[in-house]
Amino acid sequence: MMVLKTLGVLGPLHGYGIARRIEQISGDQLALNQGTLYPLLLRLEQEGAIESEWGPSENNRRARFYRLTRAGRKQLQAELRDWQQTADIIARFLAINAETRS
Amino acid sequence: MRLLKRSFARLRNLASRQSDDQRFLEEMEEHVSRQTEENVCSGMAPAEARRQAVLKFGAVEAIREQYHAEKSLPFVESIVQDVRYSLRILRKSWGFTSMAAISLALAIGANTTIFSVMKRLLLDRLEVPHAEQLRLLHWHGDKHTAVSNMWGITDNVAEGIAAASFSYPAFEQLRRDNHVLEDLFAFKNVGTMNATIDGNAQILQGELVSGNFFDQLQVQPQLGRLILPDDDRIGAPTVALISLELWQRAFGSSPAVVGRTIKVNMVPVTIIGVAPSGFTGAESVQSSPDLFLPLSSQPLVEPRGKNGSLLGASSPQIWWLNIMGRARDGVADISAQAALDTSLSAVVRSTLRLDANTTIPRLDVLDGSRGLFRSKQMFAKPLEVLMAVVGLVLLLACSNIASLLFARSMARQREVALRLALGAGRARVLRGVLTESFLLATLGGALGVALAFAGCRALPALLANPWDTSQFTMPLDWSVLAFTASVTLLSGLLFGTVPAWIATRSDGGACLKATGPGSTRRRKGLSGRMIVTFQIMLSTLLVAGALLFVGTLIQLAHVNPGFRTDHLVLFAIQQPELRYPAPKDLQLHRQIEERLRALPGVQSVTLSEVGYISDSMENTNFLPEGEPPNPDKDQSAWNNAVGSGFFHTMGIPIVAGRDFNENDTASAPKVGILSESLARKAFPGQNPIGKRFLAHFHPSEGKPGDLIEVVGISGDTRYWSLKQDPVGMFYQPYQQTPNLDFGATYEVRTSLSPASVAPSLRKAVQSIDPDLPLQEIRTQQGQIDASMQQERIIAALTASFGVLALVLASVGVYGVMAYSVAQRTSEIGIRMALGARPREVFTMVLREATWMALVGIACGIGATLLSTHLVTSLLYGLHPNDPRILATSALLLALIGLVASWVPARCAAAVEPMQALRHE
Repeated sequence: MMVLKTLGVLGPLHGYGIARRIEQISGDQLALNQGTLYPLLLRLEQEGAIESEWGPSENNRRARFYRLTRAGRKQLQAELRDWQQTADIIARFLAINAETRS
Repeated sequence: MRLLKRSFARLRNLASRQSDDQRFLEEMEEHVSRQTEENVCSGMAPAEARRQAVLKFGAVEAIREQYHAEKSLPFVESIVQDVRYSLRILRKSWGFTSMAAISLALAIGANTTIFSVMKRLLLDRLEVPHAEQLRLLHWHGDKHTAVSNMWGITDNVAEGIAAASFSYPAFEQLRRDNHVLEDLFAFKNVGTMNATIDGNAQILQGELVSGNFFDQLQVQPQLGRLILPDDDRIGAPTVALISLELWQRAFGSSPAVVGRTIKVNMVPVTIIGVAPSGFTGAESVQSSPDLFLPLSSQPLVEPRGKNGSLLGASSPQIWWLNIMGRARDGVADISAQAALDTSLSAVVRSTLRLDANTTIPRLDVLDGSRGLFRSKQMFAKPLEVLMAVVGLVLLLACSNIASLLFARSMARQREVALRLALGAGRARVLRGVLTESFLLATLGGALGVALAFAGCRALPALLANPWDTSQFTMPLDWSVLAFTASVTLLSGLLFGTVPAWIATRSDGGACLKATGPGSTRRRKGLSGRMIVTFQIMLSTLLVAGALLFVGTLIQLAHVNPGFRTDHLVLFAIQQPELRYPAPKDLQLHRQIEERLRALPGVQSVTLSEVGYISDSMENTNFLPEGEPPNPDKDQSAWNNAVGSGFFHTMGIPIVAGRDFNENDTASAPKVGILSESLARKAFPGQNPIGKRFLAHFHPSEGKPGDLIEVVGISGDTRYWSLKQDPVGMFYQPYQQTPNLDFGATYEVRTSLSPASVAPSLRKAVQSIDPDLPLQEIRTQQGQIDASMQQERIIAALTASFGVLALVLASVGVYGVMAYSVAQRTSEIGIRMALGARPREVFTMVLREATWMALVGIACGIGATLLSTHLVTSLLYGLHPNDPRILATSALLLALIGLVASWVPARCAAAVEPMQALRHE
């Protein structure tokens, strides 16, 4: 979802860019092995949520750029909705706890 | 949906083998170098920057594998790998592979063939809708039964006879009275008919059917229309329905066949339609009538009886029609039987002349779904034997595969343990073994299917006579094939996998150690040895059985039939009754006999009403003059009407009195020749020459019988079968019998082959009547061979299975001994190092194998003694527990055991002590 959102916000991006972006947004709290990003990208691509092509990067090297497809956009929206719902529900539970304790 | 898309993409990647490793590496490189740049920017030394970047990226190999796994289907890929590996292994040990595959193939092929034949002969129902509803009418009576004249097959049952034949008046009456079954219909397979299609004379099989036959059987025509009640009226134009097979064979499947006219027994008949595919009439599943004609055509196309007609009230004596009907809902067979029995009694009383002691036949309602089901009486027993034999072969083949795979997986236990120790998953190791077993099973299975196809083609050919026109088709039965194939394949998989499973469960380290030096392995080899002992037991049983049947064949071949069987060419002539009503038929045969005698290359010619060793016979009453008729005593004798020169041509000696001669004409006093055994039985202690006897009397039909003078005594002969000891019989000149209405068999003594003499015989007969075909041209020896066909087939099949059993057993012994020797190499090395001589090692191995063989043979002989009495009825001239046969099979197996263990024993003896000890 984070990958999809990143691509949704920033448009076409290469792998390093995505990794950096996720790091930045999360405030360096997510310190995963960056390499694990690539199998995930491949999987998303095979699912048809993103597509990719070679292109020149900012420093004129060859890099693979990933872009959200229409199906991916839809998927992102659906996942955001789901996430929102889940978060709402959990928030409500937490709120009840707070009430009873007080 | 997403999952589907992903799987599809993966499959595509797998199929295209597109390698994206390059892409990943490039992306990784790019990623790391950018991270490095960034690190350098933030002040790190270049080397350290690179190190940190790589650290941040993570474990490259793991990610790379993950990437690859994501990319395609690792499960499928590893299966492909397994298959490749297994193929390589199977190719490497091609001896093992071919042995196992051949075992499987034989088991599947032989079993499918025999099961298919069995199913066809004993289980398949008539090809009509709801065959299970069909009921066949049958009757049984004691020996004083009112029915005396029958055209059809009778069974001898306890206390009398049983048959499925009824007279036409009985059919009409039963049909009128019947309200317990659906409408009754009648049919009669009349056997061969002489037909002329487009000027070609051919011999076809015909079936007469009642007008409601097809309606009741619920069959739809392939073309044209079926026979309707309207066709079955006296005076209706004669029509015929032809079989699909004849339509294809003689008319090239032309739709214009409807309306064509052919000649059947010289009567013009119009074809009205073609029967559907698979329809075999109502008589049996195996018969294949070419022509279906209405009953009303019988007086024209198949005249029999007093004035040619078996229909109407004119001939109630002759019982010939088969009757069937469908079961009616809610009426039990037993109540249907009671009701129909009442009307049968009524019709017998009203149509037959009854004496004081004649009895009324009782009616039975039987299952008619398989027609008359003669095949049960004919083939049930031999097929059971063959089934048992192929069952044993199946068992043998399965155990062979088991022992081969078992020995193999034992030998590979170390490999398995090693793989486990190196970290292979158990499932993965098992899957590898399973793949190998599966491949082997598939290979064997494919061969087996091919063999089954060939077998189903070949067996009907074995069952048919070369001169018999009726076709017996034997389609491969897929359900049977599926069954045998799955049984065999499953056993292969099971025996391949179980040892592997055990191996994967065992403690890897212990296994690696234990199989290392391997000093004593007696216990571990036990199951392999037990399998081989079991195989030797089965083989002993199979070999003994095969020897019994082969012995029967040899005994039969040495039977002296009482006449010379060499250089005799036989053929039959069935004169049409319309053209040759009695006594014109006698004149015709006289003419033919004389014309043939003049042919070059023909030494002598004769004819007889009944041909020899052909399962036909004639029996009549026989009363020495002065003896009163006594219904409680057997006062009958077998008889035959023959031409002059019969005894000379057949080489049957005249031991007293004279032969028939030219003076024994129709008007001369009636004379007869008795066989020695009949003479002894009828005139004990007297000279029979000049005595007279009474024969052929049927008071109920107003026949007083003939008084015949004995003029000679002939040697005894076998009559209808080689298996039947000579019977008491008498001969008459055919000129002195009323007619030859079943035709005659000609016996021609010639030094020429049947093929070279046949054209001149045919020309001679056709110079007398161009429409008379020569039927069933064969030699007497060929006739005898054909009569032993069942014995020959059983002997051939059991013998080949016996040889197969020997081969399988020897492979089994060899495999187990070779394996055992290989395992004990170091033990043998120690023995030799301690002073054992090669000779002693050699005998030690042989002794071990011999023990195994002896135990197996002993069990096998025991099994043989227990089971051979089951086949007594199929043997001739041999006791089922003939000691010679038991000894021979035991010896053969012992020899096989010895020979098969010879090579492993030699290998053991040739072991170099030092090498053996250093080996591990």
